[in-house]
Amino acid sequence: MNDTRDLEQAATADNGGALDPREAARLLEQTSREARRQFALNPPLLTALMGVVILVAYGALWLSVLGQHPYTGPNLGVIALVYATVAVTIAVSVKVYQRATAGVSGPSARQRTVEGVPILVSYVGSAVIQGALKYYGASDAIVYGVIPAALPLIIVGTTVAGISASKADWPQFGAALAVVTGGVAAAFVGPIGAWLVAGIGLFVGVAGYAAATAWQGRAAGRG
Amino acid sequence: MTAEALDPLIHAPARLRLVATLAALPEGDALSFTRLQNMLELTPGNLITHLRKLEDAGYLTSEKTGNGTASRTSIGLTGRGRAALEAYTAALRGLLGGF
Repeated sequence: MNDTRDLEQAATADNGGALDPREAARLLEQTSREARRQFALNPPLLTALMGVVILVAYGALWLSVLGQHPYTGPNLGVIALVYATVAVTIAVSVKVYQRATAGVSGPSARQRTVEGVPILVSYVGSAVIQGALKYYGASDAIVYGVIPAALPLIIVGTTVAGISASKADWPQFGAALAVVTGGVAAAFVGPIGAWLVAGIGLFVGVAGYAAATAWQGRAAGRG
Repeated sequence: MTAEALDPLIHAPARLRLVATLAALPEGDALSFTRLQNMLELTPGNLITHLRKLEDAGYLTSEKTGNGTASRTSIGLTGRGRAALEAYTAALRGLLGGF
């Protein structure tokens, strides 16, 4: 209702009516906030929700290996469930991304495409290392425990940290460092605890990023 | 300071919303005419009129790519336009004692 009234008032003023400075300030603030919301690639609420999904997924992996002796790795049912959850999360993120970037062109759009490549390569790289360790006869605790839990966080997190630093995106840089730290910690707690520590590390990074971007949005609205 | 200190090119609701929307994009990026029109809920004719005024002042650039039905017009805020919005915001703050 308010928006409709705003537009009507706007039309009146554009047709010769005087625009009150107080009304102009309100219109500017409202338009900027709405535009930022529509262009946001990582809406804080969705990002926070993703953090919770990640924590639950890693928690499920941890529960599935809890008490294993000898360690054999997460059971296939849980892995399938985690992959399905990840697929849904990715699909939602892609939808949000497409909606935010529809009609947008220019340097940032090109940069985002370029950024995706090293992230994908680093993710594949961690899987390659896992395969190589299996090939050279490393134990299941390493191949299906410590490495898949810790290594993606360390490698992909480091790549994202580098990209964020180059853009001076400090909230993202901080989130990436939290993820790397989680990965490093996960590497030293054994194959069972690695899943839980990795999940917590990812959650802290993602939820922290959501909080930082929400705060930035509010600060920009006041600015 | 009085309301006359406010840039008249920006100090009109539709143009203020237009410039504020484009300023929310990263510097150097542009937005398609269609999406801009959807976001501002203006008629094409009305939007073109405002775009022309701002483009004549050097606040905006527009670029047309493609031909026929595949053609697309992208509109971006220039450095001058961004600076004008910043000056306008500062002038509003001065008038209202911060907002």
